[in-house]
Amino acid sequence: MPAPRLRSRSLRRIFRKVPGNRVSLQYREKKPKPAKCGNCGAVLKGIPREMPYRMRGIAKTRKRPERPFGGVLCSRCMRQKMIDKARQ
Amino acid sequence: MIEVGRLVVKIAGRDAGKKGVIIDVLDDKYILIDGETRRRKVNILHIEPLNQKIDIKKNVSHEDVAKALDELGLKVRITKPKPKTQKPKAKRKTPEQLRVQKEEKKKLRDIFRHKKKEQKSEVKQEATLEEKAGLSEEKKEGAKAEKPVEAKPKEKKTSSKKAERSKE
Repeated sequence: MPAPRLRSRSLRRIFRKVPGNRVSLQYREKKPKPAKCGNCGAVLKGIPREMPYRMRGIAKTRKRPERPFGGVLCSRCMRQKMIDKARQ
Repeated sequence: MIEVGRLVVKIAGRDAGKKGVIIDVLDDKYILIDGETRRRKVNILHIEPLNQKIDIKKNVSHEDVAKALDELGLKVRITKPKPKTQKPKAKRKTPEQLRVQKEEKKKLRDIFRHKKKEQKSEVKQEATLEEKAGLSEEKKEGAKAEKPVEAKPKEKKTSSKKAERSKE
């Protein structure tokens, strides 16, 4: 029986093969959900899925694509937005 | 629609939303643009042509494009040219200079050798002093009077020991 603090589902469970050829159950903190496009809701690529305290340590250029609306809109929605703007 | 002098907006990548002019049509896929972006080859799918068109010739210089776009109120991207720097060439030394260099090196070597010799001699002296430290003062006085040669110290030691024994 695991310790009472580990019985809640606030931690995720992973199985790790440990030295001694034994599989043990380990507990890790949950990762946040992946970033999504503000327009269509598609999962954004190029954005690391880390806890906020880890995101603080990552360089800004590694946290989102280097284009207008990078990290907010997906590339498709951004292109459509640019086309709409040009055709006004 | 896609022709030299046509204004376009880039819709993909880091330059998305920036305007430019078509300078050259390379083939049915690619064109060359210049303006708010740097001069670059672009896929036709990555641009959106606008209604405006300006009179420029094919493959005009960047300055002419800047003038033409200034009239429309577009600021052209200006990149500072890198300053030309030449590496200093290594000159060959004349035989006289080489001789001087060799002499200087020899001098340095000699200095180091002398230093090493001095250090060794100092070490020897210290060792002898330590040995002598345990001996009586009489022996030192005798040594001063005699002014011994370097080969003799063994005999002195024996004589001093004998003297100590006799005292006892």
